[in-house]
Amino acid sequence: MTSSGVDKALSLVRNLPRISFNNLRDSVGKRKPRERCRGRYGGKTHGCGQKGSEQRQAYMRLGHEGGQTPFYMRFSKEPYYKGWHLQREYLPISLHRIQMLIDTGRLNPEEPIDVTQICNTKLFKLDPRKKQYGFQITDEGADCFDAKINLEVQYAPEHVIAAVEKNGGIITTAFYDVMSLQAAVDPEAFFKRGVPIPKRMLPPHDALVQYSDPKQRGYLADPDKIAEERFILSQKYGYELPELSQDPLKDMLLRRKDPRQVFYGLMPGCFVSLRDKKVFAPKDEELKRFYEIN
Amino acid sequence: MARNIFEKSRTILQKASQLIENTMIRPLNRKVSTQIDNQQASSVGIHPAAFELASWQKSVLSPREAWIESLKAENSEEKRIQLLNPTVFAHYPRIDLLFKNVRWQKLYKHVSYANAPVRHEISRSLKKPWPQKGMGKARHGDRRSPIWIGGAKAHGPRGPKTYYHELSFMVRLKGLSTALSMKLAQDDLHIVENLDIDVDDPKAFEEVLDSRLWGPSVLFVDDTDFMPERISLVTDKIPHYNLMPVYGLNVYSMLKHTTLVLTVDAVKRIEERMLYHLNRTNMPNV
Repeated sequence: MTSSGVDKALSLVRNLPRISFNNLRDSVGKRKPRERCRGRYGGKTHGCGQKGSEQRQAYMRLGHEGGQTPFYMRFSKEPYYKGWHLQREYLPISLHRIQMLIDTGRLNPEEPIDVTQICNTKLFKLDPRKKQYGFQITDEGADCFDAKINLEVQYAPEHVIAAVEKNGGIITTAFYDVMSLQAAVDPEAFFKRGVPIPKRMLPPHDALVQYSDPKQRGYLADPDKIAEERFILSQKYGYELPELSQDPLKDMLLRRKDPRQVFYGLMPGCFVSLRDKKVFAPKDEELKRFYEIN
Repeated sequence: MARNIFEKSRTILQKASQLIENTMIRPLNRKVSTQIDNQQASSVGIHPAAFELASWQKSVLSPREAWIESLKAENSEEKRIQLLNPTVFAHYPRIDLLFKNVRWQKLYKHVSYANAPVRHEISRSLKKPWPQKGMGKARHGDRRSPIWIGGAKAHGPRGPKTYYHELSFMVRLKGLSTALSMKLAQDDLHIVENLDIDVDDPKAFEEVLDSRLWGPSVLFVDDTDFMPERISLVTDKIPHYNLMPVYGLNVYSMLKHTTLVLTVDAVKRIEERMLYHLNRTNMPNV
């Protein structure tokens, strides 16, 4: 029988002298002797050279070649980072991981799963300030995915959508702008700021197509067209589309956010007081119009 | 073929996740239905029943076992077994973590009062010792200079200096589990039912423990800080037998004492606290 490394290590330790203060040592390379500025090799000029601008600490700027056109100015620039600040990143999560989270009780399949729920597991670090606009679902574990969930992410390829819908689940791709995402990622910290819930902005031009596409289950797409695409996908991948109307979890599965909504059950413009356990909604007509509250 | 492998790995992972869940003390979103023995219901260990795990997975997840002994005279009663969670009691022997913890425990309280006066702090005259020129002697401004005997120290210690620093939470946590694991692996860990003893004389008590070869120094740990009267009075006289509540458990004390004796309540509390901190996802900035 193969034993693990831990077992081997502990059985080794068993036969060694008792662990005591005189047996301990730090990890290799952690403690280095200090370099002395004394003696034959550390002393005299103390690493500063002989005379000149260097010993006198009057250094020239980095890359300067005494007036000759420096190397870094001899060639034209390449647009390596053009549009870099506009690029959106979606953190990948595999279907396998989602299944594991559901199995270990970190995600509740009986409630809709969106960015907030995934971030609440505290297993993922999503930073909107680093151009991370949400999550994308990858296909690893698609073969053995069997959870029925209402999933809202930012991107999912076709076979992932098929894997989710095959089990009777719903998958939606939705866009969150940076301010809304900051609220969604850490709701507790956001509510403590005492700022009203923002209204979610529409996607930028290059993302509008994606989020209006029924094939990608975009949140701005026509629901009828989405239903059509669900059927087409089931035909393509060869599975029978489960009947949603017969499902006991039908209400939960069909629950969707308004395009301007950040949290389920909370409208934009609301304040949430965690201490008083109250939600304050705007009464002013102008505010209501701004936040598009009907 | 690929599907079979996936399904097999999936079932293994499901079972592994169930095992992991059973070792965790954490509020669950939904009920997990697993069969746990009556004996193991009180402990946090898992019995590696007929799960289809790889043998290395089995050995990692299998609980360790220890006899539940007694501090009273040995009798021929049947002994029970205490299951010990492997995450806490079979941690990889990280000697470097033990080193860090011991050094931290000794050093964070340390204040160095060493202070060498600088030349303007030396109480000597500022008078020029002799004229600049004409003496045939080296030129000097005052007798406080570092060159002079009795003068200042040029780059000496400028105390008082604190060596206070914080060790990261996980290093401290894993240091504790390493120490517990090493004590168990080296047969220096004993589990007792409770700290009740049947002798009043310190020498007699020492003889009882010596006969069992329970090391020169013993640390008794219980979940409470109100220890039983008899053992309190007896160990009060013996400097190398010490009583400690669970909240005082630390790496230094565990290494200082050759033998560690935990009560069943202490084991339960230690496991619960360690597993809670190892598995929580809402860790504040510690």
